[in-house]
This record gives sequence, structure tokens and C-alpha cells, in this order.
Amino acid sequence: MGGEFNLRRKPGIRPRIVLSYPDAYEVGISNPGLQILYELVNDRTPAAAERAYCPLPDMADLMRARGVRLWSLESAEPVAACDLWGFTLPHELACTNVLEMLDLAGVPLHAAERGEGDPIVMGGGPAVADPWPLAAFFDAFFIGEVEGRMAAIVEALGAQTRAERLANLAAVPGVWLPHAAQAGPVERQVFTDFACTPPVERPLVPLVEAVHDRVVIEVMRGCTAGCRFCQAGIWYRPVRERPVDMVVAAAERALAATGYDEVSLVSLSSCDYSGIDEAVRRIRALRPGIRVSLPSLRIDSAATSLAGLAAEQRGSVTLAPEAATQELRERLNKRVDEAQFDEAVRAVFSGGFTGLKLYFMIGLPGESDDDVVGIAAMAAAAARRAKEIARGRARLSVSVSSYVPKPHTPFELEPFAGEATLRRRQALLREAMPRHVRLSLHHLESSLVEATLARGGPGADRLVEDAWRRGARFDSWTEHFDEAAWRGAAAAAGLALGDPAGEGAPWGETGSMAPWHAIVDARVTPAFLEEERRRAAERATTADCRDGVCVSCGVCGAGVEMEVLA
Amino acid sequence: MRTWLVSFARRGPARYLSHLDTLRAVQRTFARAGVELELSQGMRPKPRLSLPLPLPVGAAADDELALARVTDAAPSARDGLLALQAASPGGLDVIALRESPLRARPQPLRARYACEVRGDAGAVAAAVGAFEEGEPPRVVRRGPKGTKTVDLRRSAGAVSCRATPGGAHLEFEVRYDAGTAARPQEVIEVIADKAGIEPVLHRLRRVEVVFAEAARAQHAPTQRSATT
Repeated sequence: MGGEFNLRRKPGIRPRIVLSYPDAYEVGISNPGLQILYELVNDRTPAAAERAYCPLPDMADLMRARGVRLWSLESAEPVAACDLWGFTLPHELACTNVLEMLDLAGVPLHAAERGEGDPIVMGGGPAVADPWPLAAFFDAFFIGEVEGRMAAIVEALGAQTRAERLANLAAVPGVWLPHAAQAGPVERQVFTDFACTPPVERPLVPLVEAVHDRVVIEVMRGCTAGCRFCQAGIWYRPVRERPVDMVVAAAERALAATGYDEVSLVSLSSCDYSGIDEAVRRIRALRPGIRVSLPSLRIDSAATSLAGLAAEQRGSVTLAPEAATQELRERLNKRVDEAQFDEAVRAVFSGGFTGLKLYFMIGLPGESDDDVVGIAAMAAAAARRAKEIARGRARLSVSVSSYVPKPHTPFELEPFAGEATLRRRQALLREAMPRHVRLSLHHLESSLVEATLARGGPGADRLVEDAWRRGARFDSWTEHFDEAAWRGAAAAAGLALGDPAGEGAPWGETGSMAPWHAIVDARVTPAFLEEERRRAAERATTADCRDGVCVSCGVCGAGVEMEVLA
Repeated sequence: MRTWLVSFARRGPARYLSHLDTLRAVQRTFARAGVELELSQGMRPKPRLSLPLPLPVGAAADDELALARVTDAAPSARDGLLALQAASPGGLDVIALRESPLRARPQPLRARYACEVRGDAGAVAAAVGAFEEGEPPRVVRRGPKGTKTVDLRRSAGAVSCRATPGGAHLEFEVRYDAGTAARPQEVIEVIADKAGIEPVLHRLRRVEVVFAEAARAQHAPTQRSATT
């Protein structure tokens, strides 16, 4: 779409970097990571940053029919003519959209086929925790948080030839070149100046309605709650908090620069931010009518957090118990009990909120059918409490997704539950859930694809390419998901959908080192992951290192430290 | 409470905005300009801002009207215009602003549209003749409540056509005081169909809107509106 307020145009500037989020504009424009990079490159480096998103299938088909190449929104120049094309890779289901965009831009799909006139294609974001499923299509990956290395990347692009530019990039800490000999795994980069760098203050304001249409202020990076299934909890360690004064000042400037009337204080767990109450209070006091939202609430602190939110915000609140039984929560290291859950539900409805959404997963390691039926029991208990307090006004919904084990987590070698088990447990849930509770089950087939790619090894990129050639794109959109394309590609590769793709899979059974560890050093030690896996089996919980007990995960040290407000 | 009549143009990528997106973009322009809009009464107060005649998606416009109720704290019209111009996004250009005692929303009487089409200009001219004098050009609209047949000639007319390199320039008028009004894209599609060419809706432009006499005479927002 383009034409946003706060759009930057730097015509004729080199290097020209195109930033992409491989999804539709309405989704991509809401991604805070891309907004950070856009502001950083344009305002604090000599380079120009432009953007391109993935055209929806009808538009893509028209572009192909009429020979129109993908262009950038800022200059309307072909993306293929840029110096660096950077992709933020949010999750595995965006893989085929990367191929779609490369093809629409006229850039050779395979890095090995690119020449002097082609851009360097670089990937970053959380999905590069295991870059194998996209390795063939990228010239380079950046492992970790790029803010601290962006100036070096821009400088590396100043060389005369493509080969020199790639060689320069290889010398930037955090960069992995899949098609060059590089010794040892690449250490995940941590942006150590996070706490003293202001958040985005002049974000792009889309003209059309976006998925998230509000000011987004990142108050904190990292989470040390230690949920054993959570990849982000590992990937963004250690915790770093921004000062409240900085957060409030940034919110004030961003409100003035955008015209929004809502501020979302985001992080992996905003309720854990030490200055949350003060930040909410001071932002609401900036001017009348300002709303402050938090992405989700922690069950054990929901009552306190809700008290700080606007009384007039009688909308919906999300709580994430993740698992319904105490035993399973202990395996996951979710340190909440049923009394705390009940107190949180009371706080929601007593606080005037009329909607409550509960989020769970099924297919967790060690899960039984009783654990699944327990979700319905927990929802029924919440529904009773809602009826008691809010009478007929309360709306309760339950959202259940399928757990996919992710690399660099304590559960990275646990088996995926598989299609048959998940299908049966979804049916169990449908049967057990009270009629008046709205149940939303995550699309099972896309979870199977996610599981296949999340722990992919060398060669997994061939499966992605085959699926894309069979028509797969926009795999995270139920209406566009092409099950036949994925099943066909998996069958051709001799896989059942849900099994990890790549040569030598599955990794846990052979005892071989998982292939992502050969590329990516996420900074947590193998001993920590192994210990956490053992403790999960014993239902032993591990403390949050915010509470003063170091859990020896291996992240801190050599200038990387936890930074929590005093 | 004060009323501002704001003239603005919609160009470039902004022409693909829906009516609600356009309204939201104008509302945010006010917020960035630091001009506070009055809120409606009731359980869910909304800013009192309206665009009296929605623009079709894909259509550019030279002179649109927004009616805004601003609080007494709003700056003078002159300062307000400068603030809105500085705060408007690319493609939504604020042209003029006038303070008005008007309370009711202005009623549109008629609007004039222009469109560049590609193809044989002679065939387009013949199709225009057929539109104006042949069988009544009818379209069938399908909606959730069933179908409705609309005779476009009852509200659309004064069609002119002149040859341009590779095509033709069409202009026509749609009246909004004669019952169900023709949609400009329907007029173009019917003419394009008769001429055997592809309708190119993204070249549609609304060049002029005329509002009811009372509103126009007393509260015309710009010098240019004296001609509308």
C-alpha cells in the first residue's frame, strides 16, 4: 500500500536495503521488528531502507500474468535492484512466502545461482534459530538481535564486488553464510545497549487497517520465567528493561507522531516489567482518552496488573495457563496453581472486563488424555466464576494450539505428538468443552508443517521448495493453506507430515548432535538444556533468575548481563 | 463547539483506501495536528468527523469535503490549516479550511467524474452515444437482501468523450438527488463493455462535487468551491 505517515524516502542513496516481512502488508506493517530496523537504518546509518511485503495470491497471479516485478513501497523501484534484501523470518510457516517473493522479484531462488547484479539476500528473526529449511535460498543469516551490528552490515555493503561484500559480512559477528566455509557455530548476538536505546518513536502509520493499529513500545526484552517449551524465552535472554522515564517519553513522542490513542507495552511478559504500574499510570496521564494495553497477563500477577489498566477498558483479557493440570504445568515450569488461576479469573470479571480468553496447548511432552480433558474442566470452573460475578455479560473463550518442539529449548529433542494423537485430542476437547464456552482449535495441518520445518536439517530446504512449486504459500492463513501441496511434497521426500525434514532426522533417536547446534550457538549451554529436560521429567520447577538465583543457563558473561530496574 | 469544513485531495496510493480507511486517516491527521475533535454522546463516543460523499475505492479526487466538529480549544482556521497540512500523510493533501456555522451534514447534489480508458476512441464515442440514447443502461446489484436493477441513465449523464493518445478521456456526471444513484464504476464498466475495451478503474477521478444550494452558498469551504 505505502504512503504511510512517517515514511522515509532517501532517493539515490546507496546502499539501498529492502526490508521484508514475508506476509501480507496488513500483517507485516504491524511487526515491531521491521519498524525497529526501518528507523535504525534510515535515521542512524547512511543507508536507505525501503520495504516490500508479500502480495496476496490474487495480486501475485496478476503480477505474473502481466510481467510486473515486485517493487519497494518507498521508491517503486524493483526490489531486485537493491544491494541487500533483508527478511525478518517470524516462523516456519512463512518459508514458502520467501520463495514467492524472490520469484516475484525476479531474483534467482537459490543463492548459488545469484550473480554480481543480484542483491545479497539475508535472513534474521526468531525462525533462524534453525536456518536449515531456508539455507539454500539465503546468502547470509544474522543470528540474534541485529541492532548493535547494523552499522557494520551497512559498512560491509560498501565493497566493490559481491564476493567482497559477502566476505565483509562474514566478518560481522552473528553472520552465517550457508554457502561458505565457516568454522564453528555462530554465537547469537545480544543487543547490550537495549536498555539505553529509546524504542521506535516515529513508526510508520498505515493508511489501511492493520493487524495491530496502535503505538507499540517495547519495554523489556527477554524473559526468564523459564517455560521449558518456549523458544523465545531462550532466544531473547537475558532480560533487559528500559527505564520508565524512557518508556513514557517514547510513548508521548510516538502518540504525537502517529495520531494513535492507544499504547501497547510489549515484551515477552510485560507484567514482569519492573516499572509496569508506573509506566501505565504515567502514560494514561499524558492526555485524556489514552488507552494502554498489555499483550497478555501473567496469572500470578493478573489481579495487580488489571488494577493498573484503564477502568474504562471493558474489553477482553487473555490468560495463558498453557496446561490444565498441576502435574503438567510443573513439567512445563509454569509456576502457578489453581488458586492463583481462580484469583485471576475473579480479578478479570470483578474489574469490569467482560471477555476472558484462555490459552492452552495440547501435545505437550508427558501429556495424557486426562490433561486434555482437564482443559474443559478448567474452562468450566472459569465459566462458573464468570457467571457468578458478571452474570450474563461475560464471554469466555478457549484457544488451543498444538505444541511443536522447538530448537534450543529443553524440549528440543522431545517427539512431536503427531497427527493421529492431536486429532484424537482435539476431538476429546470438542466433546468435553461446555457448550457456552467458545472453543477455538488451531489448524492442525499447519501445525504438522510447522513441526516438519521447526527442527529441519540439511536438505529441508528441498521440501520447502517442492511445496512452493506445488502451490503452497501463505501457509499460516487457513484460507490459503494448501494441504495437498504439503502432503505431496512430504510424500515425495518420503516423510509423513509432522516428521522433521532433512537428512539424518530424527535427531533424538540417533544420539547425534541436532543440526541446528552445528550452526547456531544460542548461548545456553547443552548442560542447562539437559538439566531442564531432566527436571521436567521429575516435575521439578526451576526458579526465575530475576529472583536472585542464577540457574546457570550460560547466557550471561562477557559483557552480556541481565539489566533489571532497581 | 465549532465546525470546520476541510477540503482535501486524494491521490497516489491513497486512492485505494476504503471510505472507512479514509475517514480514519483524516481523523489521525487531526490527532497529529493536535486539533481535538468533539466526541459524540453515548456509550461509545466517536469523533464527530464525516465525509459526506464516500469515494469509490480506486478513485482519486481533486476536492473532497470533510466536516469536522472541533472543540473550542482548536486553533484558528488559518493555524489549523497549517497544522493539518503538516500532519497529513502522502496522498491525502489538505487544500483549504473554513470555519462554518453549519450544523447539518451537507447533502451532495451531483459529482463529476473523469476516467482515462485505453482502446479505440471511436468505439468509446459510439458506446457513449449508446449509453445516452440507446436502450436504458441497466445493472443488476446483488446484495444480502436480494437483487436490484438500477437504470444508470436516471442518475448518470452529461457524458463527454475525447480522443487521447492510445485511448479516450471520459467525463460524466452522477446526480445524488434522483433516487438510487449510479456508481461511477458501473458507468465506466457499461461503456467499456459496449466499446469492447477493458475498464481501467484505477484511472477514475472525481473532479468536482456540488452540495445542496444552502450549504454551498453559506458555507463554501474554499474559493474554488464558488464554481461548484
